[in-house]
Amino acid sequence: MLVAVLLPFIIAIFIPFLSRWKDKLHTGFFVTIVPVIIFIYFVRFLGTGFEPIVQEYSWIPSLDINMVFHLDGLSLLFVLLISGIGSLVAFYSVFYLHKSEQLGHFYVYFLIFMGSMLGVVLSDNVFALYSFWEFTSLSSFLLIGFWNYKKESRYGALKSMLITVFGGLSLLGALIFMSVLTNTTSIQGMIDQQQLILNNEYFPLILTLLLLGAFTKSAQFPFHIWLPDAMEAPTPVSAYLHSATMVKAGIYLVARYSPMLSANEWFFIIVSTAGIVTLCWGSYMAVRQTDLKGILAFSTISQLGMIMAMLGFGTKVAIFGAVFHILNHATFKGSLFMIAGIVDHEAGTRDIRKLGGLMTFMPITATLAVLASFSMAGVPLPFLNGFYSKELFFDASLHLEAASTGFTGFFMTIVPYLAVFGSIFTFVYSMYFFFGTFRGKAHLEELPKKPHEAPIGMLVSPIILVAGVILIGLFPNVVNEPFIAHAAESVKGMALEEKHLKFWHGIVPPFIMSLAVLVFGTILALSRKVWTPVYRFVPGVLSANKVYDGLVDRVESYSETITKGYMNGSLGRYVRLILAAIIVTTFAFMAITGGFKIDTSNLSQITAPEILVAVTMVIAAIGTALTNNRIAAILILGVVGYGLSMLFVIYRAPDLALTQLIVETVTVALFLLVFYHLPKLRKKDEPVSTKVLNLIISIGFGSLMTMVAISSHSSKLFDSIADYFVKNSYKLGGGDNIVNVILVDFRGLDTLFEIVVLGIAAMAIFGLIRLRKTKGDE
Amino acid sequence: MSNLAVLPILLPLLAGIFAAFIHKKTTVVRTVSKMLAVINLLVVGFVFIKVKEQGSIVLEVGGWDAPFGIVLVGDLLSMTLVLTTNIIAVASVFFAPQSLSEKEESYYFYSFFFLLITGVSGAFLTGDLFNLFVFFEVLLMASYGLIVLGNGKVQLRESIKYVLINLFSSMLFVTTIAFLYSVVGTVNMAQIAVRVQEVEQQGILTTIAILLFFVFATKAAVFPLYYWLPRPYISPNPVVSALFGALLTKVGIYSILRTFTLMFNQQVELTHTLFIYLAALTMIFGVIGALSTHNIKLIVAYNIIPAVGFMLMGIGIFTEVSISGTIYYLVHDMIIKGVLFLLAGAIAYVAGTSDLRKMGGLIHHYPVLGWLMFLASLVLAGIPPFSGFIGKLQLIRGGVGEEQVMIIIVALISSLLILFSMIRIFIRGFWGEKTDIPFPERKRRGNLMALPAAALLTLSVLLGVGAEWFFPTIESISQYLMDPEIYIDSVLKE
Amino acid sequence: MEFIMAILAGILFTTGVYNLLQKQLLRIIIGTGLISHGAHLFILTMGELKRGAPPVLSEGIEQYTDPLPQALILTSIVISFGVTSLLLVLAYRASKINGTDNMEQLRGNDYE
Repeated sequence: MLVAVLLPFIIAIFIPFLSRWKDKLHTGFFVTIVPVIIFIYFVRFLGTGFEPIVQEYSWIPSLDINMVFHLDGLSLLFVLLISGIGSLVAFYSVFYLHKSEQLGHFYVYFLIFMGSMLGVVLSDNVFALYSFWEFTSLSSFLLIGFWNYKKESRYGALKSMLITVFGGLSLLGALIFMSVLTNTTSIQGMIDQQQLILNNEYFPLILTLLLLGAFTKSAQFPFHIWLPDAMEAPTPVSAYLHSATMVKAGIYLVARYSPMLSANEWFFIIVSTAGIVTLCWGSYMAVRQTDLKGILAFSTISQLGMIMAMLGFGTKVAIFGAVFHILNHATFKGSLFMIAGIVDHEAGTRDIRKLGGLMTFMPITATLAVLASFSMAGVPLPFLNGFYSKELFFDASLHLEAASTGFTGFFMTIVPYLAVFGSIFTFVYSMYFFFGTFRGKAHLEELPKKPHEAPIGMLVSPIILVAGVILIGLFPNVVNEPFIAHAAESVKGMALEEKHLKFWHGIVPPFIMSLAVLVFGTILALSRKVWTPVYRFVPGVLSANKVYDGLVDRVESYSETITKGYMNGSLGRYVRLILAAIIVTTFAFMAITGGFKIDTSNLSQITAPEILVAVTMVIAAIGTALTNNRIAAILILGVVGYGLSMLFVIYRAPDLALTQLIVETVTVALFLLVFYHLPKLRKKDEPVSTKVLNLIISIGFGSLMTMVAISSHSSKLFDSIADYFVKNSYKLGGGDNIVNVILVDFRGLDTLFEIVVLGIAAMAIFGLIRLRKTKGDE
Repeated sequence: MSNLAVLPILLPLLAGIFAAFIHKKTTVVRTVSKMLAVINLLVVGFVFIKVKEQGSIVLEVGGWDAPFGIVLVGDLLSMTLVLTTNIIAVASVFFAPQSLSEKEESYYFYSFFFLLITGVSGAFLTGDLFNLFVFFEVLLMASYGLIVLGNGKVQLRESIKYVLINLFSSMLFVTTIAFLYSVVGTVNMAQIAVRVQEVEQQGILTTIAILLFFVFATKAAVFPLYYWLPRPYISPNPVVSALFGALLTKVGIYSILRTFTLMFNQQVELTHTLFIYLAALTMIFGVIGALSTHNIKLIVAYNIIPAVGFMLMGIGIFTEVSISGTIYYLVHDMIIKGVLFLLAGAIAYVAGTSDLRKMGGLIHHYPVLGWLMFLASLVLAGIPPFSGFIGKLQLIRGGVGEEQVMIIIVALISSLLILFSMIRIFIRGFWGEKTDIPFPERKRRGNLMALPAAALLTLSVLLGVGAEWFFPTIESISQYLMDPEIYIDSVLKE
Repeated sequence: MEFIMAILAGILFTTGVYNLLQKQLLRIIIGTGLISHGAHLFILTMGELKRGAPPVLSEGIEQYTDPLPQALILTSIVISFGVTSLLLVLAYRASKINGTDNMEQLRGNDYE
């Protein structure tokens, strides 16, 4: 299986070379081979006697990240969808994408997506799963941005990336939580130890994070907004990623974890609510659309909502229906997308208001469309697969197994009504899609191209899919036993009794619901014109899109405001903020830890000369701040420096005194030299508040340092290592002057690099003075 | 054998001095510098392998016993960082001739460059707090030399701020060392560790530790001390920005890591809790900064800050797992910041502007630059399986282990915003309609600039995909750091 | 005496920081000068004042002043000198080229 997952990646590397010959042979042909091989490899596993298979390959064992592939019924369903639809889409794209496009890029992204998606559904290791998960988001980003010269493409790409990566990161959070709690990185391992997770105090957080990941990816309300904008991608991509596979990754995730999570009531409430709301909202929104792909996008959202809701219900019927619908949806929605692509390709527009009456020009396409859209609508005909799963959905909505009190109880009573409500609109847009495009009067003058039937190559893929629709409709139990049942078992986590699908059950409640949908749907569809103003009006301001746009725009503009607010380039401001932080925090720590101490037992005598020097220095230091004469200021600074060297003399540091004297003299000279050329000191004209603030900060900092100094002096806890130097200065260092011996010998490295510092300073100064930029040499 | 520890400092020092003597002959100094940088890398690689196989190398400089003389401690952490430093160095030295003018090269660029490496390596290796100060000064002085190189108007203006803030923090550093000396009577890090442990880090020591933290945090650009960083970092030449972005803040983080694992590890619930909160604020304000601008260089510069937040987070959580995350992130971030600054420099060069609003459609002319930038953005944002992910994974694992939920959520949201801030460069700068190539004469040089960045990026990708080759080493460093006795014994030999 | 010196050094820091917060470059650099004087005084004070003879070995003297802080100060003085010189020249060049020595006018918002 490793080979199967890696094959697309490996082939992707060669695509740039293959695409050089695209003029002779369309790159898509090579690409089609890849999913076909994978499909053939996996289709062998089908059968009633299927048993899960696990294969392990080590990758980063020290972090417990490995390639562990776990092929059970659910994975197999997805793998076959990915490779099967992948083959058809790749073949279809050969005719859809012109050779002048950047085919190399397209197919590289396409293959990366395919490999990643296979990785998602096969990985048992959560971090491998997460890696593949993010890669599906990224390849989707690149594919939506394929025609990146269009502004809408760039917008849609960014939107899908932000929302799905947001979900991805939140999923990562959940996965790490679960893996730390159970001390395993295997999904099956987690499910085996589910009590550790379910009973943890952070379980609500874990559940939220996990579901955020699933809902963003599977476009559940209110995170669905990225999907309609993703329709900027080339149509094969929409058919593949944004309807059949990638958007079902979230469904997959919920299904994968449902053996563990379905035990929790919150899982039932959140997932079913999100699913039902998404179903209703999506189908209602689809009715409003005028772009063929827009209709399909919202339709996908609503169908995903339906599957999600069934996973939330968690009953046997519901799970079975969910899994069955994953397959059915892929067949009819995939073909509808391809049909939309054909219409766009041959008529030059996807705007349903301009289309109409295309049946006479493209009879085959129209036939396919009628079958696929009626299946989507759930019209009760024995050869349409959509009807079966829709009826399972109704059946499930009537038989919820949960507590019948409180909110849950209320919720349970309204679910069937909401299910019917959502399905009515599903019926309406399905009819609109078909009749609006293919029936009615043709407005040829409004179409950019004269419509005609598509080339046969383009029709092959939708024909195969529609054939699937009919075959599954006619013989539902052929796919049921070897295939769907296994998938449902792995979702439910136990064996299900045989579910035999029948078309006719007699006049039972689900059938009545279907009839209601049919009747009301027909009425609404026929009276469409009457409702148009309502459709225009209702979502209005409440759109999640506006929230997204507002957020994204505002993130940038608020960031700018905030950042400019404090990062204004003013050094004074920076220093004030830095010092304030240091003062407050350090004082706080001193208070908390009781760091302040005064011990007067270990002090030297106070003598007059020192006091005199000290007082002079204080006066001089304050003087620097007060004087407005630059020469005076520099000289007063000199006074402080000389005062310091006096102190060095008093405190028995002859070498220091000498050095300080020399350095101070040179510095003062330098100061004078440099500032001879600079403007005079001005009176300080800043507001009093700033002055006070500056004063507070400087006094605060000065006293902080003094207090720490006094405390440090008062808590000499250990003997200094200095005795060693005194003892060994002559014996080992060969010098009487201990300071000198330390400098050149004991700590010679310091001195070496001190000289290096001076050397660098000299070079830098030399460069500063000598190197002048010539004009325009930036 | 123990003398090996001095080589990573000595070689670049000699190279720097040598380069100063031949600074006028641009072509010679260029070639020689490339050679010396590569030789240096090889030597450091050799020392690294020695340390990995045989354990820490402790050199008592001048033969004076610790704690009286200065010790250089080549342990696995130091050598890993020194090795990474030298990898960045080699990439930069190959990038330099493409982006510097000959004049700038001849005004001691290569000397400053090698001395910067000297200072950084010294800071990683030294086992003496005052000596750390001296090496800080070496690397700062070299960075002053680099930042003013070229004497541009904006550059000088920003340099002053940079020099002043660093000067201030150096003075605070040296004062804090004095306080510490007063209390524990030594400046040798191992001995400080022993003594601090003996008195269970009394109040005054924690206070001093916080001051020391602020000194390092100013260098590392932790909230609320990073204000000085973004603009001065982008004002000099791109190659200088890359060196700064890759190395300087990391020295600060390294110092915090070393100080608070080795010496001040007794009051964890106080000091390290502060770190967690500061880490969260650093991430938040850092990404906000990165989102606030349309200048690609500034976007990259601001992105230094949240990365610092991530590393500090690991130190704050303070478990073996989280520290291993910090170290992995440290190595990853050094490399990727080098890549990003080099790329941003190259992009600004070929586009003639660093303002995103004036760019668009560059991918049609510079596909290589575009894809490198795209990949680098993913690596930075921590998309698996690249190197940023491994560090982040360990950090969050550590956080979950300690139930630090707040910081985990902040870290996850920051990751998203980091990606957003970076992908804008790709979307707005590279995507778009095909336009005429701006500055066609810059095409060749622009693509040459991409080469060193591509090499570093390859390494970065390897660091993620091939994490199995690196992680066990990092993990052993983490275990080693959490058990300071090993370090102390190796230095004091008690 | 140590406390008085600690207070003196604190005052040097205070005035130094106050100058650092001003707008004019000259004042700012004077501020850094004061701060480094303060820092050196702190180091000296931390080594215990007047506890013996100057640290030059001579016959018959047992008690010497702690030599280590002195060595550290010496290193630090030299380094500060280097930095200050660089800063002075830098300030000179920067204000020449930008036409002002007022840091508030040297904010620079021309990046965004």
